[in-house]
Amino acid sequence: MRVRGVIAVVGVEWFKLAAQLKTRVVLGACVAGPFLFAATIRLQNSLPEDTLFGRAVKESGFAVSLVILGFAALWACPALTSAIGGDVFAAEDRHRTWKTVLTRSCSRADVFVGKVLTALGFSSLAVTLLAVSSVAAGLLLIGSQPLIGLSGVLLERDQALMRVALAWVSVLPPAFGFTALAVLLSVATRSSAAGIGLPVVAGLIMQLLALVDGPEPVRQILISSAFGAWHGLLTAPPFYRPLVYGTVVSGIYFVVCLAISYAIVRRRDIGE
Amino acid sequence: MMDGPALEARGVTKRYGSRDALCGVDLVARPGEVHGLLGPNGAGKTTLMRVVLGLVQRDAGTVQVLGRDLHSTAGPIPSGVAGLVETPAFYPYLSGRDNLGLLARLDGVRKSGDRLHRVLAQTGLEPHADVDVSAYSAGMRQRLGLAAALLRAPRLLVLDEPTSALDPGSARDVRALARTIADEGAAVVLSSHDMAEVEGLCSNLTVIDRGRVVFSGAVDELRRTTGILHRLHTSDDGAALQLASGSPGLRATAVAGGGLEVSADRDALDAYVIGLGAAGVAVRALQSSGRSLESLFLELTGYNGARPS
Repeated sequence: MRVRGVIAVVGVEWFKLAAQLKTRVVLGACVAGPFLFAATIRLQNSLPEDTLFGRAVKESGFAVSLVILGFAALWACPALTSAIGGDVFAAEDRHRTWKTVLTRSCSRADVFVGKVLTALGFSSLAVTLLAVSSVAAGLLLIGSQPLIGLSGVLLERDQALMRVALAWVSVLPPAFGFTALAVLLSVATRSSAAGIGLPVVAGLIMQLLALVDGPEPVRQILISSAFGAWHGLLTAPPFYRPLVYGTVVSGIYFVVCLAISYAIVRRRDIGE
Repeated sequence: MMDGPALEARGVTKRYGSRDALCGVDLVARPGEVHGLLGPNGAGKTTLMRVVLGLVQRDAGTVQVLGRDLHSTAGPIPSGVAGLVETPAFYPYLSGRDNLGLLARLDGVRKSGDRLHRVLAQTGLEPHADVDVSAYSAGMRQRLGLAAALLRAPRLLVLDEPTSALDPGSARDVRALARTIADEGAAVVLSSHDMAEVEGLCSNLTVIDRGRVVFSGAVDELRRTTGILHRLHTSDDGAALQLASGSPGLRATAVAGGGLEVSADRDALDAYVIGLGAAGVAVRALQSSGRSLESLFLELTGYNGARPS
């Protein structure tokens, strides 16, 4: 693998992403979605009370961001991360362009690493945009009042902002784990539909498994559990064990999925 | 110009499950030559080209391109090697120019403006360069594929049926381009089903059938080894054909519209004509003629319209 080759592949992949409507739609939704949510909350009388921090969305803009984080962790993150991770390899099958790409001066390792970095970069960008947009929407449309944490302790503005930012950062490891899962499904099935759709389905199944009273070891290996680890950051004192555990589980998913994916890409015969 | 072969493949074998796609195939192409690669559909030509371009992992054999061993499909193909395998494919939502620009970046060329301009002009695509590839015709995609290959300034150029989707004028341009590239010192390996194209361009040939090389050498050598072709008209072509099937050193095929094409040396032909007379079949006309590459190909591959299984 050569660094120059990887950089070239990353540049090419981002150029391709920028040229696609799908990319703009997904990123646009990450920016506009939180504003639409905050505006709706502001206009309606009822509150999303069954959601964590749902009762506080009209009292503090920070709560808006955390409600969106709770929703994103359940539904949006698997979809956002697989939008590109599940397509970045399978798109070459769809367009039949593997033979075009692999007859240039980049090795398969360069192409693989470049594409994975692009997918991870996109996942980071989507989560970051969602985080920034949700905080901005909350602060602009609701206000920057202090936030009451999960233990009932009042968090001042700066403290609340810091905790909200950390909470969003904490979803990056499982987001990367889901990206790697999407890459694996994309590489193994050679299908964008499977690469994008199956991680979302897998996320839903994991959520269901977490809800039923199943064996603890099974629940512990669910990557989706890591999406809820941020709750510990909003307690007093904060507890980090789920965060550390979730990061380790995400890391295992990440390494295993990418190792299998690379083995497939490396050995694959490129037909039509 | 390099001294050794630009491409030297020896004993290349590839299996897909229980099916042998290539069985110990040799292919050698030297700088300055256009080397024809012929064979019926499914013979293994495209698989061999994919092996040479590092797209398919061979099971056995060695491949050297421009003096470098191609060990596996994992590494990049050496600079100076370019190819066009089957229908070229590009990103449909980008223009031809953008597609080429991205491929140049993958080749490590960041400022590719002049080079893009040159290959677009060479392939006649300049007027359409800024149109999305989704709007390209098959012929334009073929030309864009050629432009993508030329971007790598090839010293070994592998072309799989490069004129298949082109109109006669464009096909002529591509043939001229292939000739020019070879004249400038590159080796061009070209597969085609157009025998006139191969005959006009190629000095040497490799013919593959069912994954095995059935001939390799110069076109003239092929003519010598397969005997002289004769056109024969008899009073009973059916009986003549039957008699030919039992005659050593002689091959005969029925010709649409009447008569037979007979391939044999002089002694075998003499014995055959005497045998026809003895069997009561009159010889009405017998002419020797030059052989087309097509008839040589059909004879080598035993193809008579329906492949035996």
